[in-house]
Amino acid sequence: MGRIYAFLDDRLNLEPLVRAIADHPVPDHANPLKTPKALMYCFGGIAFMLILLQIVTGMFLMLYYVPSPDHAYASVTYIQDEVMFGSLVRAVHRVGASAAIVMVFLHMMRVYFTGAYKKPRELNWIAGIFLLVIVIGFGFSGYLLPWDQKAYWATTVGINLVATVPLVGDFLANVLRGGSEVGALTLVRFFVIHVMFLPALLLVFLAAHFFMIRRQGISQPL
Amino acid sequence: MTTADKTSGNGHSGHPFYPDHLLVEGIVAVIVLLAILLVSQVWQVPLEEMASPSDTSYVPRPEWYFLFYFQLLKYFHGPLIVVGTFVLPLLLFAALVLLPFLDRKPARGVLQRPRSLTAGVLAIAAMILLTVVAYQEDDSMKLPPVTDQQVAAGKDIFYRFCILCHKMDGQGGFMAPDLTHIGSRSGRTYMERVIINPKIVSPSSIMSIVPLSDAERHEVSAYLSRKK
Ligand code: HEC
Ligand code: HEM
Repeated sequence: MGRIYAFLDDRLNLEPLVRAIADHPVPDHANPLKTPKALMYCFGGIAFMLILLQIVTGMFLMLYYVPSPDHAYASVTYIQDEVMFGSLVRAVHRVGASAAIVMVFLHMMRVYFTGAYKKPRELNWIAGIFLLVIVIGFGFSGYLLPWDQKAYWATTVGINLVATVPLVGDFLANVLRGGSEVGALTLVRFFVIHVMFLPALLLVFLAAHFFMIRRQGISQPL
Repeated sequence: MTTADKTSGNGHSGHPFYPDHLLVEGIVAVIVLLAILLVSQVWQVPLEEMASPSDTSYVPRPEWYFLFYFQLLKYFHGPLIVVGTFVLPLLLFAALVLLPFLDRKPARGVLQRPRSLTAGVLAIAAMILLTVVAYQEDDSMKLPPVTDQQVAAGKDIFYRFCILCHKMDGQGGFMAPDLTHIGSRSGRTYMERVIINPKIVSPSSIMSIVPLSDAERHEVSAYLSRKK
């Protein structure tokens, strides 16, 4: 390890980079080994770990999933029944999604109840709200993909609710559906939103979030 | 560095991020991962019948974390629905974004911030309450109310298809659980789901899928729900 690092550092000058990312003290009040209460400072890190888990399991699901009304359901059945570890990967992706929502929510509660959103962390709180909206977007867009009865009708209801928004509602609903009914275009849209648009947005906001945390440090103990 | 120095706990006390803190986070992460794996093994992810756009009678349910919101929407009727789908979400979003600018006192502890404390606790309580109500209504909503006729018809069906495996009032097969008191153990929705897809009980279930119509299934579950 040390020699490989020395080799790379010698050529790429990694030292400043590594220091910037990893070489900072974490205060004791955020260390679960010192105070069990500090576990609440882990929620954000766990949420991040779960997002990585979703990315990895999602990539494996994508190997087989086909976003078309004729094949989506069959491809999910195939993942479930034929692919080695397929049903496990699908289950982990589904359970992980719920866990991620729970963790993000707990993290947000931690920040709220410890008043960590106050000056100078206002902007990071706002970045966090966008992260929350994005994570919820993942949940909504992913629900349609298995193309079973529940997926189809829950999405139909969801988009009909969007349509009730004044002025722009109908327009938004039609954009989401790609027409007047949930169909082939809707499925492709939700799929691409789920695997391209939202991940891209998520990475941007996560980068901003982590940059700000690193700059400002974890807020002081109460 | 000025911002960090004044308000953050990053000082001389503390432990290094790498490797100490990362190790701790790693341990917690592994525990959470194992829990997720365990649940994924035990729980069968639902997959219903393939979407059928013409079947407009289907009553869909959202994922559990949206349930509170759907429940809330039920209280806004007719044109008032925009309050639930637009006005409230917009207000909530605005309130969250503006929170750090509205609440500018430096006090951070919850006990020094009674108003924030109340708002937070009320919001969480409302979400939990709405979710519980949603689940309760779910249990009774989709299914037609139990009538004596249904129960009688359900009994016939049970003795035709299910008694081969299940025990009931002392008779029947022994391959499957005794359902004599199933009504006191489980709700009707659960029974219906088992009949549609026995694999939700256990992924290796040997219970056969008995092709019943919706009406017949409601009859059987009505009958079983009376078996207390
Ligand atoms: C081939 C045998 C078989 C037939 C036929 C069968 N079951 Fe089952 N059933 C089982 C077994 C075995 C289980 C236990 C779960 C498992 O498979 O591990 C079970 C579980 C159940 C449960 C869940 C019990 C609990 O305590 O959670 C219900 C409810 C049920 N069956 C209802 C029915 C009904 C109603 C019918 C008729 C329409 C039926 N079953 C027909 C074998 C059968
Ligand atoms: C994708 C979701 C998110 C991830 C992965 C994430 C990750 C993190 C991490 C790792 C930290 C370090 C401290 C900790 O773990 O508690 C943190 C801090 C913070 N997060 Fe998040 N977060 C997310 C969403 C949110 C949300 C929804 C909010 C609020 C609306 C938020 C607001 C904050 C704030 C203000 C801090 C600084 C807290 C302090 O200094 O004490 N984050 N985040």
